[in-house]
Amino acid sequence: MAETSKTGTPSSFTVGGRAYTFTDHTFDVVVVGAGGAGLRAVVGASEAGLKTACITKVFPTRSHTVAAQGGISAALGNMGEDDWRWHMYDTVKGSDWLGDQDAIEYLCKNAPAAVYELEHWGVPFSRTEAGKIYQRPFGGMTTNYGEGRAQRTCAAADRTGHAILHTLYGQSLRYSAEFFIEYFAIDLIMEDGVCRGVVALSMDDGTLHRFRAHKTVLATGGYGRAYFSCTSAHTCTGDGNAMVLRAGLPLQDMEFVQFHPTGIYGAGCLITEGSRGEGGYLTNSEGERFMERYAPSAKDLASRDVVSRAMTMEIREGRGVGKAKDHIYLHLDHLDPKILAERLPGISESAKIFAGVDVTREPIPVLPTVHYNMGGIPTNYYGEVLTKVNGDPDHVVPGLMAIGEAACVSVHGANRLGSNSLIDLVVFGRAAGARCAETIERGARQADLPKDAGLSSLDRLDRFRHASGSTPTAELRLDMQRTMQNNCAVFRTGEVLEEGHTLIHKVWSGTDDIRVTDRSLIWNTDLVEALEYDNLIVQAVVTMDSAVNRQESRGAHAREDFPDRDDKEWMKHTLAFVDTNSRTVSIDYRPVHTYTMSNEIEYIAPKARVY
Amino acid sequence: MPRFSNMRTPLAKVRGLGSAHEGTEHFWRQRLTAVSNLFLTTFFVGVLLSLQAGTYADVIATLSHPVVAILLIGMMISVTLHMRIGMQVIIEDYVHDDGLRVVAIGANTFFAAIIAIASVFALLKIAFGA
Amino acid sequence: MVQLTLPKNSKMVEGKVWPKPAGATKLKEFRIYRWDPEDASNPRIDTYFVDMDDCGPMVLDGLIWIKNKVDPTLAFRRSCREGICGSCSMNIDGMNTLACTKGMDEVKGAVKIYPLPHMAVIKDLVPDLTTFYAQHRSIEPWLHTSTPAPETEWKQSREDREKLDGLYECILCACCTTSCPSYWWNGDRYLGPATLLQAYRWLIDSRDEATGERLDNLEDPFRLYRCHTIMNCAQTCPKGLNPAKAIAEIKKMMVERRF
Repeated sequence: MAETSKTGTPSSFTVGGRAYTFTDHTFDVVVVGAGGAGLRAVVGASEAGLKTACITKVFPTRSHTVAAQGGISAALGNMGEDDWRWHMYDTVKGSDWLGDQDAIEYLCKNAPAAVYELEHWGVPFSRTEAGKIYQRPFGGMTTNYGEGRAQRTCAAADRTGHAILHTLYGQSLRYSAEFFIEYFAIDLIMEDGVCRGVVALSMDDGTLHRFRAHKTVLATGGYGRAYFSCTSAHTCTGDGNAMVLRAGLPLQDMEFVQFHPTGIYGAGCLITEGSRGEGGYLTNSEGERFMERYAPSAKDLASRDVVSRAMTMEIREGRGVGKAKDHIYLHLDHLDPKILAERLPGISESAKIFAGVDVTREPIPVLPTVHYNMGGIPTNYYGEVLTKVNGDPDHVVPGLMAIGEAACVSVHGANRLGSNSLIDLVVFGRAAGARCAETIERGARQADLPKDAGLSSLDRLDRFRHASGSTPTAELRLDMQRTMQNNCAVFRTGEVLEEGHTLIHKVWSGTDDIRVTDRSLIWNTDLVEALEYDNLIVQAVVTMDSAVNRQESRGAHAREDFPDRDDKEWMKHTLAFVDTNSRTVSIDYRPVHTYTMSNEIEYIAPKARVY
Repeated sequence: MPRFSNMRTPLAKVRGLGSAHEGTEHFWRQRLTAVSNLFLTTFFVGVLLSLQAGTYADVIATLSHPVVAILLIGMMISVTLHMRIGMQVIIEDYVHDDGLRVVAIGANTFFAAIIAIASVFALLKIAFGA
Repeated sequence: MVQLTLPKNSKMVEGKVWPKPAGATKLKEFRIYRWDPEDASNPRIDTYFVDMDDCGPMVLDGLIWIKNKVDPTLAFRRSCREGICGSCSMNIDGMNTLACTKGMDEVKGAVKIYPLPHMAVIKDLVPDLTTFYAQHRSIEPWLHTSTPAPETEWKQSREDREKLDGLYECILCACCTTSCPSYWWNGDRYLGPATLLQAYRWLIDSRDEATGERLDNLEDPFRLYRCHTIMNCAQTCPKGLNPAKAIAEIKKMMVERRF
C-alpha cells in the first residue's frame, strides 16, 4: 500500500500474496457498455461538454444491439395515421399493465424525435416512395387503441440494429469521449450508498483500472446467456445487473424473460418478427396456421409471449414439425422474392447458413428462444437507479444510472413488444445523457475514493484467477443454462419452479469448486468467462426465485397453476436482493406507477389482454 | 517501419502528414498512357515487321517519314512516361525507408527522362537526316 | 525494403498434440496458432481433436468446444455467433472469414486456424486492430451536413437509398483489409479496403453534404491509390460485399470531378 494516487487513495494492494496496482482515472461520466443505449448516453454526455468515458468489453460495433433486425418503433405516421398515444396504449397492453405508465408515456412521446435524430446522424433507413422512413407492421402494434394494424416500426431492411449501432458509434467519435475498449468492468465502487465509480480489467495488457465519476451509467445489456438456448450473443452476461446485486441493490421483475417465437431451431439465431410483419406465418405439422385460433384478430402478429405460448402448446399437443415433432415452421415462401431480397435479406442469409433453408422455397424451422430480459436494474425515466429504503420505493441511488436492457424503467413490464427495445435504448440513452448534463457541474472536484476502493474487486478477481477447484467454468455454466431452460421456460408451474430453485441454488453453491486454468492476465478469456459465469449465476438465481414467488400469470410469466392475472395481489414490481456471502435471495416489492407523466393522456386502466 | 513514434495516438499516426491531394493525375495518366501505348507500340511492331527484310537505307528512309517519326517519338514519350509512373508505384509499394524511397523515385524519374530524351534525340536525328 | 520472411522470434514451431476425446467416433482435427505474450517462446501450432457428435456445425462451435472441454487457455474473440458482430474473424483454411458462419464440413482435412494475417498478435487468435479502427475513424464515419436539419427526416429517394446497399452492411471484421497484400506492405498509410468501402458509403449517401471534402481527404497516393485491384478483399468478404468495386467507384469520382 505504498503509493497514493491522484484519487487520494492507495493504488497498490496485496491480495492472496500477489501485488495488484490500480491505474486511476477521473471523469464526469463513466458509461459501462457500448451498445445502443451506452453509445447514445456517451454522445449525449460528451456533446454537453462533460468529460466522458466509455468502458466496454467488446469493440462498440460488436455489442449485441448490432443483431437487432426488425426495427425501431415510433409513431411517425409515415405509412398512415399514427399517434404516440396509440403506441403508448399498445405498450401498456403489451406489458400486461406491469409497465410504469409515466415512463411509457415518456418513451412513446419522445420516440419520434429520437428516431429523426438517428436519421439525421446517418442511419440508412429503408424508404417509402415519398422518400420518408419506411415503417413495417410488428406484433402488438395497433392504431386507435387496438382497432387497426399499425405500421410503426422504422426499418433499415432487416439490419436495423446494425445500422443504428454503427451510426451511433460514428457519432460518438465526433466528440471527445474516451473509449476504453476491451476493458471488463468488475464491480462498482460504492461508498455509503453512493456510487463513486467502477473497477475494470484491461484485457489487452492485464492492467487494473479504477474509474471515479460523478455518474456511473450501466448500459450492460441483458443476461440471455443464463439460458441454454437464446438469441443473445455469448457476451450477453448481464455484468451490470450482477454488479448491482453485489452492491446490495435490487433487480426488478427478473421473472419476466421473453421468448422470441422465431429462433432458428438448433442454432438459436434470431429470425425477426418483421418476417411476420412482412406477411410470414407459422404452421404446425398439419400445415395449419394455428395462430388464427389463439389470436383471431392479430394472428401471427400477436404479442411475443402469446405467440410463443401458442407454439409451445402446439408442440406439446403433438403438432410440432420435424422428426421429433419439436418445432414449428415459419413460412416466407409465398412472399415475392423481390420483397424478401429488399426487406429481409439478412434473415434469408441466416436461414441459409444456420438451417440450410432457401426461404423462397421452404419454411424455416423455428422454436421459441430466450431473447430479452424485461427485468433489470430499477430506474426512473431519467435513468437514475432506484432502490427501496425505509419503505420509500423510489429512493434514488446517488451516482448510479442504468439504461437499455440492463435497466427496468419499467416500460416493458411483463412483456416487451417487438421494436420497442431499440427505441428504449435511444430514448433512455438520450435521457440519461441529458440528466447528466443537467445535474453535473462540469469538472467539479470529486472527493477522494474510500481507502479500500476496489479492494473487494481484487479479492474477487484474484479468487477466480487462482481458483483451483475441480469443476471447470464451462461445466457450471452448462448446469446453470440447462436448469434455467428446463425449469424456468415458457410455461411454469410451482412444482417445476421449486425444483428449479433447488437445482439453481445447488449450481450456485457449486461455484466454490470452480476451476480456472489460465493464470495469466493478458487476454485471459478463461478468467473473464469465470467472472461472467459468476455474474450470470446470481441473475439466474434471482430469476428463478422471483418466478417461484409470483403466483399469477402475467405477460411472459405464465404459471399453469395460476393461469390468470391477479391485479389485486400482484400488480406490483418484484424486487430481488441478494446476499452473496450467505447466498440467499430476499424479495420485496415496488408499486406499479398507475399514473402518467402529463395530462396529455390518462392512465390506461387494466383490462383483459386479448389479441 | 513505422513513420511515427509509438507514443503518438493511433489517430495521429493514421492521419500522419495529411492527404497529399495528389494521385488522381498519376492514376489518370497511367490509364491514358496505357491506351496510347496500346496503339503506338502496335504501330511500332508493325514498322519493325515491315522492315524485317529491309536494308539500313530502308530503315532510315522509313524512320525519316514524318508520320512514322512523329508516331515513334510519341511512343517513346508515352512508354517512358508509363514506365516511370509504373515503376514509381512499385517503389512506393516496396521501398519503406523514407529517404531511400525519395532517392529511388528521383532516380526513376531521371532514368526515364534520360531514356526519353536520348531516344527522341535519336529519332529526330534520323528524321532530319544527319 | 519489404520483409519477406518472419523474424526469428515469430517463427512457428510444432506445439502440443492434445489427447483425442475418449469414446468419440467422429473426430475433426484442428491445428491452431498459439502465442502467449507472457512467456518468451515462439508461436506454436497446437493440435486438437473435436468430437463432431458433441459439437455444433461451425468452426466457432469447434473452438468453443475446445475451450470448454480441452483447453480453457485458448483465446479468441467471439460474440453474436450469427455473422453480424464481426468479432470472430480469423484465417481459417487459408482464407480470412468469420468462424461462426464457416461450416467445419467446408474444410477438407484438418481445420487450420491462424489470426488475421499481418497484424500484431495480442494472444493466440486475437489480433491488435487499433490501427484498423483508427483508419476507420479517420474517414469521419458520420453524416456531414451544413443545411439545418429538418424537423422530420432528410428525404431520400428509394433509388438513392439503394446505392447504400452492399456498403452499409459492412461489419468491420477486417477480413478484407488483412487479406490485402497492398495493406500488408503499406498498412500504416494505405487505408485498406474496409475503410475505403466505409468511405464510399458516406460519399454516395445522398444526404451527405461533404462529398468534396471527403474526396480531398482521400486523394493521396497512399491512402487511396495503393489499391492495385488485387481483389482479395472481394473474394474473402464473409458478408459477400465488394470493397474493390467501392474503391474503383471512389477513383472514378476523383476523375469525374476533374472534368
